[in-house]
This record gives sequence, C-alpha cells and structure tokens, in this order.
Amino acid sequence: MKISLKVNGRKYTRDASESKNLLHFIREDLGLTGTKEGCGAGECGACTIIMNGRTVNSCLILAVEADGAEIETIEGEAKNGKLSKLQQAFQKNHAVQCGFCTPGMIMSAKALLQKNAKPSVEEIKAAIEGNFCRCTGYQQIIEAVQDASGQLKKKGELKRA
Amino acid sequence: MLQEFSYQAPTTLKDLYSLLKKRAGKAVILAGGTDLMVEMHNNWIAPEMLVDIKKIRELGEIKFSRKEGLSIGATVVCTELIKDKNVQKYYPLLADAAHRIGSHQLRNRATIGGNLCTASPCADMGCSLLALGASVELGSADGVRIVALKDYFTGPKKTQIQKHEVLQRIIVPIDMANAEWGMRKLKRIKGHDLALISVAMARTAGVMRVGIGSCAPTPVVTVDLPASASLDKVKEATFKAVSPIDDVRASKEYRLFMTGEYVESVYAELTRGRSRK
Repeated sequence: MKISLKVNGRKYTRDASESKNLLHFIREDLGLTGTKEGCGAGECGACTIIMNGRTVNSCLILAVEADGAEIETIEGEAKNGKLSKLQQAFQKNHAVQCGFCTPGMIMSAKALLQKNAKPSVEEIKAAIEGNFCRCTGYQQIIEAVQDASGQLKKKGELKRA
Repeated sequence: MLQEFSYQAPTTLKDLYSLLKKRAGKAVILAGGTDLMVEMHNNWIAPEMLVDIKKIRELGEIKFSRKEGLSIGATVVCTELIKDKNVQKYYPLLADAAHRIGSHQLRNRATIGGNLCTASPCADMGCSLLALGASVELGSADGVRIVALKDYFTGPKKTQIQKHEVLQRIIVPIDMANAEWGMRKLKRIKGHDLALISVAMARTAGVMRVGIGSCAPTPVVTVDLPASASLDKVKEATFKAVSPIDDVRASKEYRLFMTGEYVESVYAELTRGRSRK
C-alpha cells in the first residue's frame, strides 16, 4: 500500500508492506536506523518515536497506519552536525552507556520537555517509565533531563532520587 | 515481518458491518494495536485480515449528555480520556484508572474499547467501569445491542461479542456522574506493570459498588449495595464476587488479603469525604 508520511520534517512516499511494522519500515525502508528494536512487544520503549506529537512504541504500529503522520526520530535531533541541547545533556551527564535505549529515551524526554519546561524528578521518572535502561540505573538520565531543563544543581548538592 | 494478512480501513460503520459480516471469523479488528500487535509478534494469532477502525470518525468521539451520561467511542485512547474535561469533572475515577495503564507510549495508543475487547482478567478499565455500572454497545449488520458490562465478560479473554460484531462505544450512566470514588492498583514495581489486583469503588447517594480486577477469571463487581452499607457488608459482598487463583504474579492468599486491605482503605477515604471528587 502506498503511504506518505513526514519524518523529521522530510516527506517520504513509499510502497509499504502491510505486514511490516512502523519500526521496521523506518529502519529498513527509510534507512533511519537510529530507532532501535528491543523487545518488539511494547515493553522496553527502545523503539519510541514521536508520532503526531505523542510518544508511541513504533513496534506496535503498522507502517500503513502511519499514512499521513508526522514523525520525529532521533535523527531529527542533531542539526548540521551539532548535537541538540538534550543530546548534549545526555552526553555531559553520562546518561549513555551502551546507548541502545538512548534514542527512545531522548524521544520520551523530548516529548516531556515540549509539554513541561521544568519537570520535577517525579515527573521525569513518570515520563521515562516506558523506557528501559539496563546500564545506568536511570540516575544519570534523570540528571540529564534536569540539566537540559536548566534545573541541575552542582553535583555536590544533588539530592539523589 | 509479521505473518501475511490483508489490511482494510473502512471509513463508515456501514462498510465495517458488511466487512465483518462477509469475513466473520477471519477478520480481526485493529484499534490501538497494543495487545493485537504483541499477539501477532509472538505468533499467538495469525489473522487473515486486519480491519483498522480508526478511520471511522464517530468511533473516536467522547460525548457527555445529561440524559445518557458519558459515551466513549471505541477508538478513544487512554490519553484522550484522561485529558477530557467532562471525564475529569464528572467521572474522575475513569481518568485515574486510565492513567494507571502501561506507559505513556501505551496510553497514547491503547484504546478503552480495546482494553475491554482483550478482556484480560487484569484489564485496568474493567474494574473502574464496572464500579460505575457501565454498558457496552455492540453493533453489526444485524443491528445494535447494549450489554451491561457485568454480563459482557464471560471468561479470561472471552466476551459476549460475536464474530460479526464490533464494540462501538462504552456508556457510563448519568446517575454515576460526580460519584465519590477511590482506586488502588497493586503492582510489583513502581513503573509500568500489570495489576496483581486492582480495586475501584464508586458511591453515589443511591448506590455503592466495588469493581475488582485480577481476582477472578474476569474483572468482577459486587452487587449494588446501598450507599449506607457498612464496611463489613462491603467486604462481604467483595469476597463473594472474587475467586482468585495462584499464578506467576501473586498467590491466592495475597490477592485476597490485599483486596480486603484496599477495600478498607478506600472505604475509609470515602467516609472521611477525602475522595478526590
């Protein structure tokens, strides 16, 4: 089925297999391999993208369901080789270890900051509830989001969540 | 790649009805996909056809009227229910229950109707809608019928929906608007998890009900109790409604114990008038 969609501001028209999920379509048909597949069953959030302004697990959506959608993925973050503010905060605060959860994590954090410029620690935790990280123990990720929203105190004064 | 299937997305109820009638038993309805896609991913099911109902406009509406109450269309997702002004004002229990489902990513996609169609014993919307005395409207080429939710669930993942029917909306009666309410969901972790048990209570001037999830083959509800029912009576009715089993998530004893604890604490909340109205 022929579908048209916008990904990171660029319009794509492709013939999509009906039995392909959106995650595989983005990775294989559009060649945007930043979005990762973890569990493939909506548990881990590695495949999180922003679709029409809301975070979704792209593994649980058919490509054909995304006809006409506006999608944001991790590839839309860096501009002209410069990391976005959020990406810089992740890098600076050691919020990335193996990196597999990071593209989805950043999409969830981005969606949070779009709605709430100064989220509390509890709000950050709730926002990334659907994104599993098996390396960092989440603390550095929470700090990165605090930093990106201008709320990170000096390390010495940090109240651990 | 998932197994091969054909994909249809009718834009009117009439087209949907005729498609379901023609392909009864072969076609599976796709709404949010948060359960269906998992079942297909795991090769538990291999439908010949998926019928996407999200392009049928009227199925996406939430409506409130003083005559009928609240009407939730089949494709309304959790996030929309949580944000709806009338739901927040008149049926805050439903917003609270929907908020307890899954993660942001799932709530942005999962539909209230789909939660009732999957009909898991732990369906998060089951116990709250039961406590509010909701009904579902099932439509087909043969006509429309309304089934009380307490009669709708017939077993784990089993409902009264026939192969050629679609759950098209959920109706929450007007006399339950502004009910006092309280809910608890017991989970193993703080983050997104299935319920070990869930308890939802609603009380108006005329009636009190307790809906319980994960404590029987289906979500269940007590008989209609008088608003003045004592805690003992409420607990008695609750334990009469449930029949928990041991499983991987919790033992029968733990489930019964926590059900009693939650009924007590929510009852106390209602009595102290601290229920968030």
